[in-house]
Amino acid sequence: MSVWNPENVVDVAESIGITSLNRDVIDHLARDVEFRMSQVLEEALKFMRHAKRTTLTTQDISQALRLLEVEPLYGYESTRPLRFGEASIGPGQPLFYVEDEEVDFEKLINAPLPKVPREISFTAHWLAVEGVQPSIPQNPTQADQRNQELSAKGPGANPTLAAVSGNDNVSVKPLVKHVLSKELQLYFERICSAILDDSNDEYRAAAFASLRTDPGLHQLIPYFVQFLADKVTHHLRSLFILTQSMMLIAALLENPSLYLAPYVPSIVPSVLTCLIGKHLGSPSLDGTTTHFALRDYSASLLSSIARKYGPSSSTLKPRIARSCLKHFLDSHKPLGTHYGAILGLTLIAGADGVRELILPNLKAYDAVLQEAVRDDARAEEAGYVIDAIKKALDMLREDHAELRGAVGEVLASRMD
Amino acid sequence: MAQQPPPSRTASVGPPSAGGMNAPATTPGGGQGQNSNQNLNQIVLEYLSKKGYSRTEAMLRKESANTDANGQPIPSRVEDTGGKMYSSTFNLVQNWIESSLDIYKPELKRLLWPIFVHSFLNLIGDFYPRDGQEFFTTFREPFEAEHEDDVRALAPIHEPEHLQQNNIAQLYRNNKYRLTMSHMAYTSLVMFLEQHEREGGMVVLHIVQNFLDVRTVDRQTAGGQKGLQRLLAERNGEQDAPAEDEGIPGHNPGSANMDRNAPTVLSKLSLGPMPMEADLMEDVKAELQDHDSTHPPAGAQNTLVDEFEQRIKREPMDDVPSRDLLPFPPSTARDVAMEVQKVKENRDRFRIEGRTGGVGPGISVTMFTFHNTFDSINCIEFSGDNSLVAAGTAESYIRVWSLDNRALTSPTDPPSYQYSSSRRLVGHSGPVYALSFSPSVAIPEPATNGHSSNTTSPDSQPRYLLSSSADTTIRLWSLDTWTNLVVYRAHQSPVWDVRFCPHGHYFVSSSADRTARLWSTPQIAPLRLFVGHDSDVETVAWHPNGAYIFTASGGGDRTVRMWDIVRGSAVRMFTGHTGNITALACSPSGHVIASADDRGEIILWSLPTGRLIKRMRGHGRGGIWSLDWSVESSVLVSGGADGTVRVWDVQENKESQQGKVVGEGGAGTKIDGTGGAVGGAAVAKSKAKKDVVVSPDQISAFPTKKSPVYKVRFTQMNLVMAAGAYLP
Repeated sequence: MSVWNPENVVDVAESIGITSLNRDVIDHLARDVEFRMSQVLEEALKFMRHAKRTTLTTQDISQALRLLEVEPLYGYESTRPLRFGEASIGPGQPLFYVEDEEVDFEKLINAPLPKVPREISFTAHWLAVEGVQPSIPQNPTQADQRNQELSAKGPGANPTLAAVSGNDNVSVKPLVKHVLSKELQLYFERICSAILDDSNDEYRAAAFASLRTDPGLHQLIPYFVQFLADKVTHHLRSLFILTQSMMLIAALLENPSLYLAPYVPSIVPSVLTCLIGKHLGSPSLDGTTTHFALRDYSASLLSSIARKYGPSSSTLKPRIARSCLKHFLDSHKPLGTHYGAILGLTLIAGADGVRELILPNLKAYDAVLQEAVRDDARAEEAGYVIDAIKKALDMLREDHAELRGAVGEVLASRMD
Repeated sequence: MAQQPPPSRTASVGPPSAGGMNAPATTPGGGQGQNSNQNLNQIVLEYLSKKGYSRTEAMLRKESANTDANGQPIPSRVEDTGGKMYSSTFNLVQNWIESSLDIYKPELKRLLWPIFVHSFLNLIGDFYPRDGQEFFTTFREPFEAEHEDDVRALAPIHEPEHLQQNNIAQLYRNNKYRLTMSHMAYTSLVMFLEQHEREGGMVVLHIVQNFLDVRTVDRQTAGGQKGLQRLLAERNGEQDAPAEDEGIPGHNPGSANMDRNAPTVLSKLSLGPMPMEADLMEDVKAELQDHDSTHPPAGAQNTLVDEFEQRIKREPMDDVPSRDLLPFPPSTARDVAMEVQKVKENRDRFRIEGRTGGVGPGISVTMFTFHNTFDSINCIEFSGDNSLVAAGTAESYIRVWSLDNRALTSPTDPPSYQYSSSRRLVGHSGPVYALSFSPSVAIPEPATNGHSSNTTSPDSQPRYLLSSSADTTIRLWSLDTWTNLVVYRAHQSPVWDVRFCPHGHYFVSSSADRTARLWSTPQIAPLRLFVGHDSDVETVAWHPNGAYIFTASGGGDRTVRMWDIVRGSAVRMFTGHTGNITALACSPSGHVIASADDRGEIILWSLPTGRLIKRMRGHGRGGIWSLDWSVESSVLVSGGADGTVRVWDVQENKESQQGKVVGEGGAGTKIDGTGGAVGGAAVAKSKAKKDVVVSPDQISAFPTKKSPVYKVRFTQMNLVMAAGAYLP
């Protein structure tokens, strides 16, 4: 009837030399033991709760015993689970005991020290921004939280709340669908065709002027971004389309009523393509050096994006600089790419960037340039690259005239 | 039944195996005696009929009808069945309540729990351990949802002496369980019990008279509280919530006076903000004027002086506590700078003005996750200027980190000391359960070359840190030298919580010795002792004006009490929680207190009226460790063991309070109710087993990755900072 087996009482009594115990006394004692144990457990639970834990540890038990003014049990630590040994004292009568490991003293002394546990440290992240949980690796995914009740259900619950906090179920649809008005759709089509129309300059200029000034275009931005990415990826051979795309971005950036910050990550790749792309335009049609103009234009565009949105996104500039540097250091890339990369680095990273990123690599790059200068077909392109490097070094000189290093001098004399 | 000798009380008092009905029949008379007894009756009857004494014979037959074959009386009264009587009577009452009228059912159901407890305690007290266990296991199931902890605490009681040592049993035995019922329900109960006097009515009546304090109210006058509409509304779910005035310390709602004849007038509270010192006010105003002239407010912003005057004038002056009663040390230059910065932050804050257009305000939460803790962190605390975070560990030390990764230096460091952004404070000899920084406000570094910098100046850092531990001490640490300054010893048991006064200088602690104590930092003895809780005082909180404190306890008590720190007396008491209270927070407006328990329920209480405002559910089981209010007192945020940060709308639900709405719109719900009446019980049961039902007051919930949230805090600018330990 009690959870505590009265047999145990008999065993303990026998172990201290009391062989005959009245049955009633045994029952009584068993019940009492159960009561005392639950008393200790109740107190131990309190300690567990205040330690904000959900598992009871041996520490909690000894704290509880101390509170009840009982000598705590020593020798049990909570970091290692207890190992129970089993011994049989008869058929169907297993006896459990705590196994004490035998430790060889010699071995213990000579054993290497255990690893120092890692230091407690903390990290910070956004759990919610303006009431919405961002989906970043630090936050659980939708799949992880399926078993949790996160939003209110039943009468009186506000369905929009669930949708706003991003926990919406399939059944809850946002109240407003993203609908483009007929006029906007028409406007979008007209603009796109006008921009790509190389026969009518006036038409084009009007389209860009509208993009630069119209205050009601916000709904169209995602469509323009999509259009841009599409054109740049599919028309790498056509300098005209690439140039027009860049001008489209420039126009959007200039529009004071548009907020482009959320779209910058999707715009930058297109611009970078026009800056450091391997082959832009077709040499047979446009000549070998016309693409440098496009690269110049994209570089200035990129620098204006970086200037405008760099402060709000801490990773924007480093990301651009990193991809420029990567292409600059890759000697297998064509000279056009190198030109774009140097230009990009100069404009994005400034004088410090030139000193840190370009200068150390110039010595090695010299070999590549030499080779190109000797090759007649590429001499002209090499000239552009040298101009770009010169420009970078000029910038450095303006910044730190006295710091114009030996490497710069050597190079400059060679170029002359 | 009739075959066995009915046990008499005297026979069962003694070793349990001999007591009760289950004992084998070992009557001394034995078979021989039985036979002779029966034969004797037979012989006498035969003799009488032979002689023709028919009237005597009839009399004998009549009298012997009440005895069984063994010549012992057949029990006609339930009291004579010994330990069994409570089971049968409880069954009787339970069945009657189930079949009673729907409008009385919710009230009468509340009776079952105290009757259950006292039946069980009586059984144990009368030494029927076996019957007691049987009774307990048979009937405990319906109470496990609401009274889980009590059921668990009562379960191991087997012997009369355990009654003396079990806290919960003592609480029930020594106090009267208070219950409010309508006249009609109570009368019908008494009538039923008197009718069934012989089947056990007297037993229940005895319990009701001795251990219960039933108050009857007229349903008409009670109005909304016990009104018909309220009862009908309750039928649809909220049955498991105890009434506000029910329970062991059952109070007169709103008042801390537990006397039966307590006056209905509540003691007056001064809930307004503490008035500022005149000198300090002048200094702050001058400083603000100065600032306004150098940095004119941008756009539509108020000037700082306007903002400051608004803040002072906002409250009516009659409900502010008097400064004379609560002495503080004279203000310093640092106080002036802090007040100035408070006004500035208050103007520039992100405003949360309650629900706008049905959608809750967008709250931003920064989560600080602690790694490699091995579950050894007990508490986390942020400093008021958001520059430091401290964690108390199970390994008895405290660790303080700088949030902006600045080296924590001390003038006493040896020159070779390698600075790092964290320090350990070692001194306690038991797990550290609570920490509290002295008040501080981030004061930006004086603006250099035109633009203001984001870094805070080092002297905005808090000066002191308090910690409380299982070693029964509270320690005060200096954050200038990173050493222990004072040890406060007075508590006799582990100190669960400690809180600095919002104005510094004073602090309050709560302990397992069932007291809360008020201290001032320069004195090593407590100034006030707050006694009254029936179990551990689990947590404490300050009223924002510093004139009152709140304490909450767990165990069998589960009350929130409000104390006047000047007079040291209780001024309010709130009952209604069903779990151990784990967190308290008073709104900055000073009119509402929020309390949360480990069953995932948050309750809001109004201080002026002393009444419950609403219950909010949503957190999983396992404790809500922290609560905090937005600056405008319009939003409450909570963090708990289920690893979520939840945002709550604190506005009162008008719909559920106004009778009209329930009455009219209720027609639809009423039909639903009757339609589902057959399956109603089953639905309720499955609901109880399932996860928690989220109440519609929740604005949003943000889950973390396996990190229980230990602390949430609104900054002065209405950003939420949360902290928790990652437990893989």
